[in-house]
Amino acid sequence: MISAIYDLALTTGANRVIRGARIEHICGDPELGPEKDFAFGMEIVGTALEAIRTAVAGPTLFEPGKSSPSREAVHAS
Amino acid sequence: MNDPLKVVHYVNQFFGGIGGEEQANEPVQVRDGPVGPGQPLQRSLGEDATVVATIICGDNYAAESSDEASAAIRAALSEQKPDVVIAGPAFDAGRYGLACGMVCKVAADMGIPSVTAMHPENPGVLTYRRDVVILPTGASGADMQRDASALASMALKLARGESLRSPAEEGYIPHGIRVLSTRDQPGYVRALDMLTAKLRSEPFVSEVPYHKPESVEPAPPVADLTNAKFGLISTGGLIPKGNPDRQTSGNPDRYYTYSVERMESLTGDDWEAFHGGYYNQIASDNPNYILPLSFMRQFEADGVVGSVHSDLFTMPGVGTPVEKSRRMGEIMAQEIKDAGIDACILVAT
Repeated sequence: MISAIYDLALTTGANRVIRGARIEHICGDPELGPEKDFAFGMEIVGTALEAIRTAVAGPTLFEPGKSSPSREAVHAS
Repeated sequence: MNDPLKVVHYVNQFFGGIGGEEQANEPVQVRDGPVGPGQPLQRSLGEDATVVATIICGDNYAAESSDEASAAIRAALSEQKPDVVIAGPAFDAGRYGLACGMVCKVAADMGIPSVTAMHPENPGVLTYRRDVVILPTGASGADMQRDASALASMALKLARGESLRSPAEEGYIPHGIRVLSTRDQPGYVRALDMLTAKLRSEPFVSEVPYHKPESVEPAPPVADLTNAKFGLISTGGLIPKGNPDRQTSGNPDRYYTYSVERMESLTGDDWEAFHGGYYNQIASDNPNYILPLSFMRQFEADGVVGSVHSDLFTMPGVGTPVEKSRRMGEIMAQEIKDAGIDACILVAT
């Protein structure tokens, strides 16, 4: 799941969460201009593909641009 | 001594001793006195109340001919004039749970107090908990005596016209209704009392119940993406331009699928975002932000992924109750499975 509100996705139990850019433009950023925007989207979606290839034990955050997975979520109680 | 209170008990064809699934179409019938689980129920009621009659109905009949079934039950109750109606317990049997809820609702509408018991996840709870007093049971009849005893004491209370205190105090499943009441202490004092209790590691009860989300076992990874078929899902409210299907901008009743075959990218000329939970213009200008078709086509062309499924899945994921979301999720998951999709990317705003 790609989401800009990734903490909510993690605490509600989504197992492979990818940090999106912003709520209004999750898979990219129009401010970057068309070329860089597309590259940024490829990076975010590429991270999602990486997550699908990765075994996880529970809710796990994957951050584009970082060696994944970034961290495992801790449930609030 | 007062006359014993009159109880009418409802059971299905199985507990009524008529038969199993093959007898589930049996219509409503009435027997004198207790039958099946009515026996332990009568023991628990003791001399205070008597099971004067047992209504038996097949689960399929109750579900499929509910108008006829409820009319027959109403007629039986008019004749018996009980002080209270007890239905079940139904445990985790779905149709039976729904029938028990229906019987209690019929009784309540006639002004007769009623109570049933079933497993908290029985669909009867979801459908009837607002109107009916439902006691929780296990998934099976392993503890029939305990369940019968709980039903008996609740039934006596209701038959005597005693008003019920909160679900926590009485042990019934919450109706999901807020009741206005006055507390002894103002909110800030209660909050500070809870905080001090927490700091002292003493027990306290929150006034805002926290429902821990269910945990879902992670799907195993897909080792080879180059042969995998991908489904693309958005809860960002992606719709074809002009909203031909008149979708809502929130709390949807269903999701929609649209073909993306031979489509390289989602353009603002053909698609837009319609979602009541965020500013939609940026996603309307470039819908690939909420459903990453353009990027996936690139990965497809580069040979990184096998293919993208012919249809996208979309809905506005805002203001949707968890139960409703769960139901739609189940249907979507089945469709994804049937389409032979290996992995999905879901974009949630």
